[in-house]
Amino acid sequence: MTFYVIRRLAIGVFLLFLMSAMFFTLTRITPGAPISVGENPRIHQSVIIQRLHRLGLTDEQGNSYPIPQQYVLYMGALLHGDLGDSFIYNRPVTTLLMQRLPNTILLLGTALLVALAIGIPLGIFAATHQYSKLDMTTSLVSYVGVSIPSFVLGLYLLIIFGAFLKQSPLHWGFPLFGMHSGGVDDPIDLLYHMVLPVTSLAILEIAIFSRFMRASMLEVLHQDYIRTARAKGLSIEKVNYKHALRNAILPIITLVAIAIPQIVNGAIITEGIFSWPGTGQLAFQAVVTRDYPVILGVVMLVAAGTVLFNLIADLTYAVADPRIRY
Amino acid sequence: MAQVPPLPIGPSAGGVPQLSVETTVQQERDLAQPGVRPDEFGQAPELGFWRLSVMRFLHHRVATGALIILGVIVLSAIIVPIITGDLYRIQDYRHPFKPPFQSFQHVLGTDDLGRDEFARLLRGARVSIMVGVLAVTGYLLIGGTLGALAGYYGGWLDNALMRFTDIIISAPFLLVVIAVTAATGGVRLSTVIIVIAATGWYEIGRLMRAQFLVLREQEFVQAARALGASNTRIILRHILPNALAPIIVSATLGVSGIILLEAALGFLGYSIPPPEPSWGNMLTEFEQYLLEDKTYLVFFPATALVVTALAINLIGDGIRDALDPRQR
Repeated sequence: MTFYVIRRLAIGVFLLFLMSAMFFTLTRITPGAPISVGENPRIHQSVIIQRLHRLGLTDEQGNSYPIPQQYVLYMGALLHGDLGDSFIYNRPVTTLLMQRLPNTILLLGTALLVALAIGIPLGIFAATHQYSKLDMTTSLVSYVGVSIPSFVLGLYLLIIFGAFLKQSPLHWGFPLFGMHSGGVDDPIDLLYHMVLPVTSLAILEIAIFSRFMRASMLEVLHQDYIRTARAKGLSIEKVNYKHALRNAILPIITLVAIAIPQIVNGAIITEGIFSWPGTGQLAFQAVVTRDYPVILGVVMLVAAGTVLFNLIADLTYAVADPRIRY
Repeated sequence: MAQVPPLPIGPSAGGVPQLSVETTVQQERDLAQPGVRPDEFGQAPELGFWRLSVMRFLHHRVATGALIILGVIVLSAIIVPIITGDLYRIQDYRHPFKPPFQSFQHVLGTDDLGRDEFARLLRGARVSIMVGVLAVTGYLLIGGTLGALAGYYGGWLDNALMRFTDIIISAPFLLVVIAVTAATGGVRLSTVIIVIAATGWYEIGRLMRAQFLVLREQEFVQAARALGASNTRIILRHILPNALAPIIVSATLGVSGIILLEAALGFLGYSIPPPEPSWGNMLTEFEQYLLEDKTYLVFFPATALVVTALAINLIGDGIRDALDPRQR
C-alpha cells in the first residue's frame, strides 16, 4: 500500500514535470516578447528589465537566457512557491490564484454536491423502476444534457432567467452577472448569485452521474446474491438499499474523480460568462489578454489537482472495497 | 461473400488436400471477415455486414430523423452561402438589431452592425462542419495509425501513447488547445484544425489500441500468420476491418465534440477571426446582446450548435446500435 502510494506520487510528479516543460516551451516560443503584451510607454526600461529578470527570462542586463535555462529557473522558483508575475495584473501569480481559489472551490464544490445529491438518487430510482415514465424521462433529459456544453447552457439560462423572466410580472429574474459587491459576507445574496452558474455546471454532471448510477445499479440488481436475498424474504427496500446500493455506488468514486477535471474545464468558460471571480475567470481573462504566466499557473494548478484527486479516488476505492489490494 | 469453399484439410471430396495459391487466398479472405460465416444450415447470409448495418440504422427512427436534420443543415450550409454571397459581411447601417421574423429581407434579423443573421449562421455552419470533419480525419489518421501500431507491436510506442494520454487527460483540454494555438502563431482556421487534431486523437488511439490488443490474439489472425501473411497485410486486411465498428462510432461522436470545442475557442477569440462568422465568435458579444435585450442574437447561434451536436450524437448512437445489435 505504502509502496503503491509512493509509486503513484512519483508518476504524478513526473507527469507534472513533463507537462510543465511542454507548456513552458509552448508559451515561450510564442511570437512576441511576453512583456510587449502589457506595453506601457510610461514604464521605465530598467523596470521592464527588472521584471523580465524576475520572470527568469533574462539576466540583470536584459540579455535573454536560452529556453532550457529559463525553464530550470522557472521550475526552481516554482518549487519555492513562485509562479512568476502576471503581465496584466503586475502581481505574483500565486497571490492571484490564492485570492480566487476559494471562490472557485465554493462554486465547483457546490455544483459537484448538487450534481451528486440529484444525480445519484435519480439514477437509483431509474434503475429500481426500470422502464417507468420517470426512467424514460431521466434517460431522455440526461441524453440532451450530455449534448449541451455547459457554456451554451449558461447562455440559455442567462436568456431565460436573466433576460426574459426579469420582465415577467413575478419578477423572477436572477442577477445577470457576477458576485455581488457584498461578496462572501452576505450568504443570501451569494446564494442568489450562485443559482445560475451552479445550475449550468451541475446539469452535465447530473446527466452523467444518473446515467452511470442507473447502469451500475441495474448490473448489480441482476446478480445472484440479490435474488438470494429476495428469496430469503427480505423486503424490496432492504435488498435495494442495503444489499444492492452498497456495491453499485462504488464505481461512482472513480467517476467523481474523472468529473473533476471536466467540471474545471467547464468552469473556465462558465465563470467567464457569469463573471464569477474565480480561477476560471482568471484563466478566461488571461486567455483573452494572452497573459501566459497566469495560463501556465492555472494549468499547473489544475494538473496537480487532477493527479492528486485521481490518487485520492483510487485510495478511497481501496478503503471502500476490501477486495481491492494494491 | 459467397459460398466458402470446402477446406482443403480434412476429408474432402477429392481425398487429397489441394493447396493451390487460389484456395489459400480465398481462405485468407474468408478468415478476414469472421462476421460472415455460413450458419448451421450451411447457408451463407444473403446480405453483407455493412449492408445489414445500414438497414438496421434506417430502422432506427430517431437516428434516421437526426440524419435528415443534419443533412438539411449540411446541404444548406453548402448551398445557401453561394446564393447569399457577401451578405454575411455587408453592414446595413440603417437596420442594426433588426428583430427576427419581421421582414423578408432579413429573416432572422440583423446583428449589432446590421449584418444578416441568417447568412451569418449558415456561413458559420460551414466553419463548424469543416473543422469537425477535417479534425476528425486527423484523429483517424494519427490516432488510428499510432493506436494500431501500439496495439499490434506494443513496446515503447505503447508506453509513449499511454503517457501522452495521461498528460492530456490531466490537463484542462481547453487551455491546452489555446496554449498550442497561441504558440503556433495565432488564429487561422488551419492552425485550429491542426491543433485540435494533434491534441485530441488520443481517444481514438486508445480505442484502436484496445481493439488491436484483443484481435491480434484471435485465431483468425494466427491462421493468417500461419498462412504466411506479412504484418502489414495482417494489420490492414485482417485486423483493421474487424476493428472499425467502435472507431466509426467514436469518430462520429468526435465530430460533435470538435464542433463544440471549436465554438468554445471561437467564443474566446481563438478561432477564425472576424468578419468571418463562426457559431462561437457570434456569441462573443453576448453581454452586450443580453443587456440590450437582443436575446435572439444569443439564442440562434447557441441553438444551431446544440441542434447540430445533438443530431450528430443521435446518429452516432444509431450507428452503434446498428453495428453491434447485441449492445442494446
